[in-house]
Amino acid sequence: MTKKKPYELTQSQKMMVFVLSMSLYGLSNMFTELLPSVKLGFLELSVEYFAFIPLTLCILFHPLYAAIGASLGEIIFGELMLGQFGGIGEVEKFITFSLGMYIAGILVRNPLNRMQVSVAVMSGLLVHHLLALMVDIGKVWVGVEELEAVPGLAESIVLIEGVAFLNDLLFSGILFALLPTLYLVPRLYGKIEPLLGMKPRNNKVQYSLGEIVTPKLVIVGVILAAIAVVAEFMSEADMNIAEWEFDFLGMFGDSFIWVVIGAAAFIASLTIWIMRRKAKDQKQIWGVHHEE
Amino acid sequence: MNEVSSIREKFSVEFVKEELLRTAYGNGDTFLARLDPRALIYWYLFFGIAPWFIHNKMILSGLLVFMVVTTVMARTSPLIIIILCTGLLGEIAFLFFISLFFGGGFESVLPMFWLTVKLAVISLASITVFSSMDPERFGDALLSMGLPSQVSFSIAFGYRTLPTLMEEFHQIFLSYRLRGKAPDSHGFLYWRSIVYFMKILVVSFYPLLLNGAKRSRTTVEALETKGFSYAATDSKVKKMKISYMSFKWSDYGFLTASFLYVVVVFWLGSVVQI
Amino acid sequence: MRSKPLIELENVTFTYPGVEVPVLTDVTLSINEGDFTAIIGGNGSGKSTLCKTFNGLIPQFYVGEFEGRVIANGLLAEDQTVAQLSKNIGYVYQDFDNQLLRPTVIDDVCFTPLNYGLQDHKERGEWALKVTGLEDLRDEFIWQLSGGQKHLLALAGALAMKPKILVIDEPIAQLDPQHAKRIYDILRNLNIEYGMTIIVIEHHTEFIANYCREVILMDKGRVLWKKTTKEALSRVAELMKHQIYPPQVTQAAQRLGIDMGKDDLYPTTLDEAITHFTQQAPSYKELRKHEPLHEEVKLRHQPIIQFQEVSLQYRTLKKTVKHALTDINISCYEGDLITLVGNNGAGKSSLIKLITGIMRPSQGDVLIQGINTRKATPEKLSDFVSYVYQKPEEMFIDDSVRKDIEYYLKARKVQDYEVLVEKLLEDFSLVDIQHQDGRLLSGGQQRRASLAIGAAMNPSIILLDEPTANLDIATKKHMVHMLNKLRKHVKLVIVATHDMQLVSEWANRVIVMNQGRIMCDGDKHTVFGNNVLMEQAGLVPPQILQLSQRLKMEVPCHTVEEFITIWDQEGANLERSIEYT
Repeated sequence: MTKKKPYELTQSQKMMVFVLSMSLYGLSNMFTELLPSVKLGFLELSVEYFAFIPLTLCILFHPLYAAIGASLGEIIFGELMLGQFGGIGEVEKFITFSLGMYIAGILVRNPLNRMQVSVAVMSGLLVHHLLALMVDIGKVWVGVEELEAVPGLAESIVLIEGVAFLNDLLFSGILFALLPTLYLVPRLYGKIEPLLGMKPRNNKVQYSLGEIVTPKLVIVGVILAAIAVVAEFMSEADMNIAEWEFDFLGMFGDSFIWVVIGAAAFIASLTIWIMRRKAKDQKQIWGVHHEE
Repeated sequence: MNEVSSIREKFSVEFVKEELLRTAYGNGDTFLARLDPRALIYWYLFFGIAPWFIHNKMILSGLLVFMVVTTVMARTSPLIIIILCTGLLGEIAFLFFISLFFGGGFESVLPMFWLTVKLAVISLASITVFSSMDPERFGDALLSMGLPSQVSFSIAFGYRTLPTLMEEFHQIFLSYRLRGKAPDSHGFLYWRSIVYFMKILVVSFYPLLLNGAKRSRTTVEALETKGFSYAATDSKVKKMKISYMSFKWSDYGFLTASFLYVVVVFWLGSVVQI
Repeated sequence: MRSKPLIELENVTFTYPGVEVPVLTDVTLSINEGDFTAIIGGNGSGKSTLCKTFNGLIPQFYVGEFEGRVIANGLLAEDQTVAQLSKNIGYVYQDFDNQLLRPTVIDDVCFTPLNYGLQDHKERGEWALKVTGLEDLRDEFIWQLSGGQKHLLALAGALAMKPKILVIDEPIAQLDPQHAKRIYDILRNLNIEYGMTIIVIEHHTEFIANYCREVILMDKGRVLWKKTTKEALSRVAELMKHQIYPPQVTQAAQRLGIDMGKDDLYPTTLDEAITHFTQQAPSYKELRKHEPLHEEVKLRHQPIIQFQEVSLQYRTLKKTVKHALTDINISCYEGDLITLVGNNGAGKSSLIKLITGIMRPSQGDVLIQGINTRKATPEKLSDFVSYVYQKPEEMFIDDSVRKDIEYYLKARKVQDYEVLVEKLLEDFSLVDIQHQDGRLLSGGQQRRASLAIGAAMNPSIILLDEPTANLDIATKKHMVHMLNKLRKHVKLVIVATHDMQLVSEWANRVIVMNQGRIMCDGDKHTVFGNNVLMEQAGLVPPQILQLSQRLKMEVPCHTVEEFITIWDQEGANLERSIEYT
């Protein structure tokens, strides 16, 4: 075990961050699941989620554990316990949300720098919502047989999803992610860490790069891919919505579905592989002795 | 004033708290709950995914009927069904409304209707499975399927800790209320009150985060003294944890009956056209 | 001693990172197999830290500068992981709620043996439930248990490993007297029947006297001495100096010079005290009878709080109806200092919540200064009522003590609120810590801060839930002092408590509750004088009162001071009556 890295948590401390993030974000998720939403025409004033909780924790502590903890918390409290677990659909949410939060966390180097925190929060949200947007539109496209045959349907869906995206990013995003995070991070910095028996993240020392390189590569890859797909998608959509639908299906036929599933399966197995590798590392650490 | 306070009582934190607890813990002893969790997961893997790729209306209707039956068997809480229905219906209505602007009409609702049926089948399948499955058994099933032991622990721990967390949240929420000041008037469409409560809801997480940090430290410390990390090094322990699960006649029966039903529905689908 | 040492510490010093002063300084100590040892010392003397070195939590989990050697169960602690050491050392935290990790009782109790891969984990779990008397609850969810049951379960969870050593941090801090006795009876049984070595961190010297064999005194991170219980508790002056109050009977005996034949050994339990006090005053029963003291009758005008035929029910998850309160009819007046007593689950908290308006009665009405709580929001009622929670953490909603005190005043835009805040900070000795976060304070400071927050609401009525729980006795004394100060600020105080000393030293009205009903509403004399009532409600009177009753003194004494005064008086009377004959 290499010691004396600038910011490294022991395995138990990572577990604490994980448990904290899981339970609190899970709790908030139960409330947001139940809060009624207000619809004002196009604008749906709903509270998508209290993303400020995982965001704050990602910024203050170890981003990976806080992010995964939050996603798992959402599944356990917001879905499983309410008996509305979406099964496979949750995998997608798990990945996009964890990614978004994680990215926000690694972007911040000084938690007291408001500008940095704001940029990080918005980037994290952007990644999450953009991926979610693609998946949502993709779902309708796979699910509805004669989408192109009905006038106005495809446009409506893109419009609705687009507005929802903007709403999530700009309305819920600013109100329930950015502002509370800006309020909480400076107040908690230096105060919550001792309660977990750790030192605050040093805002002068750079983050140890070795630790984030591998997941970072994966993330960058996924983001690039995502942006690529969206760009493709958008350019086609601009030209003729009815046509791209037709063209795609024409080109690949029904078999295209399997491409999508294949991609999803790939991402899923990648995640599981990473998680298992982590678990193995953990076993070794726990088996021998603690770091430090 | 009286009506207002009675509404308030109905939708108080206390009410939501109770309703949530009832949903989370009131699974009861149904036929489905006694099945092997792995059987339910295999079952779900079909009914949760296959509908996406089925466009035959007869088959979809057949599956929907089946899912309604299993949902009733699972004795799902009405709250969940209401949330599901309003979600699905709201979406379709809104879509209809929007598509009017693009020159669409009633006909645009029809394909969406079948999408909704699809979504309903999938959602009901997951409701059936996950509301009747004991959380720990679900966690253990995941463990037996190779997920890390932290995941299965977290699920069980979530169930253990939820009431404590809610209680604490409730107390803190009350602290803000008892020491704060509610707006004098509710404002247009209650907006002042809504803003007041939303604000409390958000700021309540400041003390909760700090208290939670304290709590999770003890929790992890206790995990350590209870040998949880020891278990992670020992594959024998994992086997013991999942040893109680076994396929029984009822599991095979349930899967076979479902399979036969699906065969019949697919056959019907190829014969009858809607 | 009769057997080999199980735990040995050699020159152990430990310092938390970033702190100058070590929490443990040069501790050398050994604890033998089969001992039943109490560790005592004031808040912050390093008791918990000491116990965490036994299973390696220090320095492995709590990192810091560690010197010296710990040998636990024959193994050098530094060579083992916490998990390996924990196989033979059970540890029950003070914060017992958070060490229950599984959803159901049986699952939690089997969790540890299962983690260690023991084939008989089920049997061990069942056994532990049997020993702690929880068999009937085996399939319940954790959150359905009462505080006392959770405490027992935390104990059972540690027992399931059948550890050689059991360490318990404040086993009875939040329990009513019946549950407390039950826990200690179990511990004694484990010690005698199963030969388990038991180490408790304890403030309640009356329990130490009855159950423990050895006492270790700590102060400022050092172990001062280890003595047998009788020797230890007889050192009254020294203990008092370290903020520890010996049993009331021992205090009285020491002050009256009633020893046990040998110098400097005093009675420590009630039974011993009865024997020795009776020997000292053989003709006691013939003494003249005193009239019992009566408190002056208060002038009662308009009641401040009125409960009219109030009942409260709620549905449980199993859809059965639980009667939390039944037929409550009480009125509370200005100047009342009320203690609500009764065991856990008697309905004390429900009653208090009805007054705050957080809950509304199912039947009947609650009137607060003439306002029906059904018609008012909790925010409105908080103009007159302030509620101080049992857990101070839940009252800290801002980031410093001062801001927390200001919160209410600022929200209501009170003019010149700074003046009041300054006064409160002074009154409750919070000036030095006003800018710290409440959560990071010690237990006693947290309580004081929560009282000040309550008082800042400038209420007519203040409600306190267990204000003295979890405090060491010195802090508790201070707390009673604070409660007396509170009288200046408010018209009416209601305290829900298990603490009978608080009842006898502070209250002027006692309401006894049991199973959601009011069993008695009177003063301390009527309540403590009624043995049947006390038994039914699960209450145990203060030890000194029991002594005076058992000695058949006609005036029941509620405090050690009273006892000494009256004893001297009686003594004087006795001498006088001898002269006359």
